Amino acid sequence: MRRYNPFYFIGQAFEGLFRNGVMSFASIAVLTSLLVVIGGFTLLVTNIDVNLDEFGLINQIVVFCDPNASDEQIATIGEAIGKLDNIESVQHVTKEEGLEQMKAEYDIYDDVDEANNPLPDSFVITYLENEKVPNLDYQLNQIEGIAKVNNRLDLATKIEGFKRGVMLVFVWFLVILGVVSIFIIINTIKLSVFSRRNEISIMQYVGATGWFISLPYIIEGAVIGIVSSVAAYFIEWYIYSYIEEMVITDLQMISILQFTDIRGYVFWGFVGLGIITGVLGSIISLARYLRQ
Amino acid sequence: MIDFVNVKKAYPNGTMALKGIDLHIDEGEFVFVCGPSGAGKSTLMKLLLREERISSGKLTVGEYDLSELSNVRVPYYRRELGVVFQDFRLFPKKTVFENVAFAMEVVGTPKSLIARRVPAILNTVNLNGKQDSFPNEISGGEQQRVALARALANNPKVIIADEPTGNIDPKMSLEIMSLLIKINKLGKTVIVVTHEKDLVDYYKQRVVMLDNGLIVEDRVGGMFNAQV
Ligand SMILES: Nc1ncnc2c1ncn2[C@@H]1O[C@H](COP(=O)(O)OP(=O)(O)O)[C@@H](O)[C@H]1O
Ligand SMILES: [Mg+2]
Repeated sequence: MRRYNPFYFIGQAFEGLFRNGVMSFASIAVLTSLLVVIGGFTLLVTNIDVNLDEFGLINQIVVFCDPNASDEQIATIGEAIGKLDNIESVQHVTKEEGLEQMKAEYDIYDDVDEANNPLPDSFVITYLENEKVPNLDYQLNQIEGIAKVNNRLDLATKIEGFKRGVMLVFVWFLVILGVVSIFIIINTIKLSVFSRRNEISIMQYVGATGWFISLPYIIEGAVIGIVSSVAAYFIEWYIYSYIEEMVITDLQMISILQFTDIRGYVFWGFVGLGIITGVLGSIISLARYLRQ
Repeated sequence: MIDFVNVKKAYPNGTMALKGIDLHIDEGEFVFVCGPSGAGKSTLMKLLLREERISSGKLTVGEYDLSELSNVRVPYYRRELGVVFQDFRLFPKKTVFENVAFAMEVVGTPKSLIARRVPAILNTVNLNGKQDSFPNEISGGEQQRVALARALANNPKVIIADEPTGNIDPKMSLEIMSLLIKINKLGKTVIVVTHEKDLVDYYKQRVVMLDNGLIVEDRVGGMFNAQV
C-alpha cells in the first residue's frame, strides 16, 4: 500500500518560500496589485451597472399618454407600440401605479390621492438596440395620444461609453499585470526548483514521480496566491470603504454597493484568482518535471 | 535480465559514445565494467538508468523495453534499480537514517515499514550506530555506504554503481567492494564500473572491457586487461 505524507509537501513548499524570500515577496506584491486592480475595476463596473439600473437608463424609453386619453385610446396606444420594431417589451404603468411609485420614492406627494392624481398613464418600453433608438423615438412620436417620449439615450450612451472606456483600460491593465505576475511567479518557482536541483535529481534516481517532485512547488505557488489574495482583500476593503464614505457624504445622487454586502464575492474571487495564477505559474515552470 | 542488442548511443553533439553493444547479464550476476576514461562506461550506466535514451538497437531490463518506455513510467522502472555514484549524492541536511528513509518515502512506503526496514539495511552495510549522524560527520567510505543503503532501500533487483570507490581511500574501497559482493550474494544483480585494477583482479568476477564505445573483452575470472 502506498501512503504519502501530506506534511512533507507542505513543509517543502514553505521551505522554498522562505529560502527565496525576496522573490516570494516580489511575487506576492505583484499578484496582490493585480488582484486589487482587477477587484477595483470590477467593483467600478458593477457600481456603474447598479446606477444605470436604478436610473432606468438601460435600454428603456418611457412614453406618457395624453392625460385626457380614454382607457380605449390607451389600449390602442399600447398595441401600436407593441407592433414597432426594436422592442423587447412594453409595460403599461397606469396613472394609479405611477402615483404609488412616486409616493414610495418621495414623501412630499403624501397629500396627493387618486382624485387629484396629476399623472398620465405611461408605457415603459425596453428596446433592443441603441442604434435604432432615434427611429423608434420618431415612430413613437407619430402615434396619436402620446404626449411625451422620454428618451434618455444621450445620457445612456455617455455612460455606456464611459463604461466601455473603463473596460478597455481594465483589460489592458489585466493583460499587463497578469503577464507580469505569471512571469514573476514562474521565476520564483524556477529559482526554488534550481536551488533544489540536486535533491530533485536524487529523487528522480530513486523513482519519484513527476507529481511527487512537483507538488511542493505547486503548493508554493498556491500559497503565494492565497497570501496575495488575503492581502488584496484587505487593501481593497480599505480603499473601497474610503470611496464608499466619500460617495455617501458628497455624492448622494450616486448609489454605491456596500462592501459588507459584497465582501464574500470579493474574498472568494480573489482567493480563486490568486490560486489559479499561482498554480498556473508553478505548472508552467515545472512542465519539464511533470512530463517526466 | 539485462539485454543490450547492438545498442548505439550518439549524443546530440554527434559524439558516438557507444558504437554497437551486445551484452547479456543474467539475474543475480556480478559484472565489473572497466575501460579507459571516455570509453563509454558512464554512458552505458545512463542508458540502464534511462537517464539517456538509446539511439538504436534494443535494450531490455527485466520486463521493461527501454527503447519504448514512456516518460511517465520511468519512475516506476527506476524503482527496480538502485544506483550509487562516485560523489555519494546524499542530502546534507538529512541524517543517515533520513537519507535512506527518503528513498522509501518518495515511493509512498508506510512509516511503520520504513521504521523497521531502515535499521535492517543500515545493518547490512555495517552502519549501525551511525543512523543519527549527518553526512559531514562521517567518512567518505561511510557516506558511500549510506548511498548504498539508500540504493537498497526499495529492494531493487539491480544495483548499478558508477565508480563507487573513485572518491574514497583504498582501504575503504575494499570495504565498499566487499559490500557490493555481499549484496550480490543476497541475490541482486550488481554492475560496477571501476578503474581499480587490484580490486577487479582480487574478486575474480566477470569483467566487461569497454574501449572507444565497443566491448573489447568479456570474460569471467578477473584479470584486468593490461593492454588497455
Ligand atoms: N552529455 C554528453 N554529451 C556529449 N558527449 C558526451 C556526453 N557524455 C559523455 N560524452 C562523451 O561520450 C564519450 C563516453 O563518455 P562516458 O560514457 O562518460 O565515458 P566513461 O564513463 O567511460 O569515461 C566521451 O567521449 C564523452 O566525451
Ligand atoms: Mg564515467
